[in-house]
This record gives sequence, structure tokens and C-alpha cells, in this order.
Amino acid sequence: MRILFCGVGAVGSTAAVLCRNLEATLVFIDFDRVESRNLLAQAFVKPSVGRNKAEALKLQLLNLYGVKSEAVGVRLTRDNVEALCQGADLLVDCFDNQASRLVLSAFARAAGKPLVHGALAADGTFGLVRWEERFVPDAEDSPGQATCEGGEHLPLIGQLAATLARAVQDFVKHGARRDALVGLAAVTPTTA
Amino acid sequence: MTTLNITYNGLSSDVPLEVDGAVSDADVRRIAVEMLGLPREDTFQHYVVDRFRGPRGEERIYLRPKVPFGA
Repeated sequence: MRILFCGVGAVGSTAAVLCRNLEATLVFIDFDRVESRNLLAQAFVKPSVGRNKAEALKLQLLNLYGVKSEAVGVRLTRDNVEALCQGADLLVDCFDNQASRLVLSAFARAAGKPLVHGALAADGTFGLVRWEERFVPDAEDSPGQATCEGGEHLPLIGQLAATLARAVQDFVKHGARRDALVGLAAVTPTTA
Repeated sequence: MTTLNITYNGLSSDVPLEVDGAVSDADVRRIAVEMLGLPREDTFQHYVVDRFRGPRGEERIYLRPKVPFGA
């Protein structure tokens, strides 16, 4: 099985690390580079600063856990989404913007690929895990509004990433597609 | 019995909601403002109202911040 993590920032990198036990090829797609300020909220370590995030995560999985994975250090666009995602058995959307989510969503629907979304509110108080068939991206109040920089939201990021990783594992092992709401008080499954 | 979950200002809670018939999104936002005793009626203007059925068929409504981003 080939699992593509699209976006490996806070949610994507943490969820991917929690999927290292799977008998699957993990593939990371991200054009961004690791910055020092990312270290408090994302699963990167100091020697990775300056590297492409997808490449850095691949190296960390290999060096820290002995797990082989693949990295694609480019921005996912309408022009390359088919080439990059055609071979995937599961797509995991951890992007930090609605435009990229919509590109991935359109491809998954057209190609019939399973896609699960993980998303966290900018204020770090709420998260969602939702499969494509039930996912509607919330409207942006203003394009490019602030995301969860810094480490103050790390516990909820971890909770959301763990819930997303569990959703991936349940799909891989049982074919289940479970949604969840991740709040400050609880993780609540929202489908059977 | 309907349960309303409100996430606001670093806290999240379930509160019971006694309603007759359907409750609109605007009603949910107004009820939350009244429950929390907030001075601004538009406090939840940009919040999303999610509706689900629990395992025993009970209605659960979530008034939550938007999640346009993955952080």
C-alpha cells in the first residue's frame, strides 16, 4: 500500500511519524523548508532546519526509526496532482490552505481515490478528521490568515495527528472510514 | 434531548438544549451567546455549526471555530 501525506507541517509530520509502524510505503509531499520556529510544533529536529520538509521527514524516519519512505519536495498543483497522486492507495490531506485542499479533493473524486482530511483551527482549539465523501472545507475569513505557529497548540496538534493516524490505520487494516471531532475536552467519533 | 457543544475562549463544553422542532444555525449562535452571557451578539458569526447523530440517535450540535488550515 502506498500512502501519500500531502503537506507535512504540524499535523502531517506528526501523523506520519505515528504511521511508521504500517506495512506501507509512506510518501511525503511538501515544497516548504523547515524553519527554526517550526521545531516547537512540528515533528522536525534541529539538524533538519533549512531542508525541504518532505526530504527532512524522510531522513528522520530513516535515521531515527530505520523506516524507509519517499519524499517529493514540490508544491502540489492542478498540473502535477495526477502525476504525483495517481499511484496512491490512500491520500492524507494535511495542507495548510484551502486551495491545495480543493486541488486534492477534485483529483480524489475524479480518480476514485480514498482521501482523508485532517485540519486544525488557527487558534488551536478544534480539529477535524473527515473523509472526502463528507468533507466540506470551511470558508476562509481572509486569505492567508494566521496558522498555528509556535508551540502553544502542540497538545491539540498531537491529539489531532494521533486521531488522524488512527483513522489511517483503521483504513489500512479494516477498510474503515471513521470521522472524528477533536476538541479541547474530547475526541468524538462521528461515524460508526 | 439535544446536546450543544461550544468551543470558545480555550474551553469546550457540552450543554443540554431543550428545543421544539428544528433549530437554525442563527438560533444556535444566538443561544450560545445568551448561555455564555457574552456582550457581543456577533461573537460566533464566523463559527461553524456541525450537526451529528450520536450512537443512540441523539442529536449533537457543535458550534466550533473554522478549520480551514492544517496548521
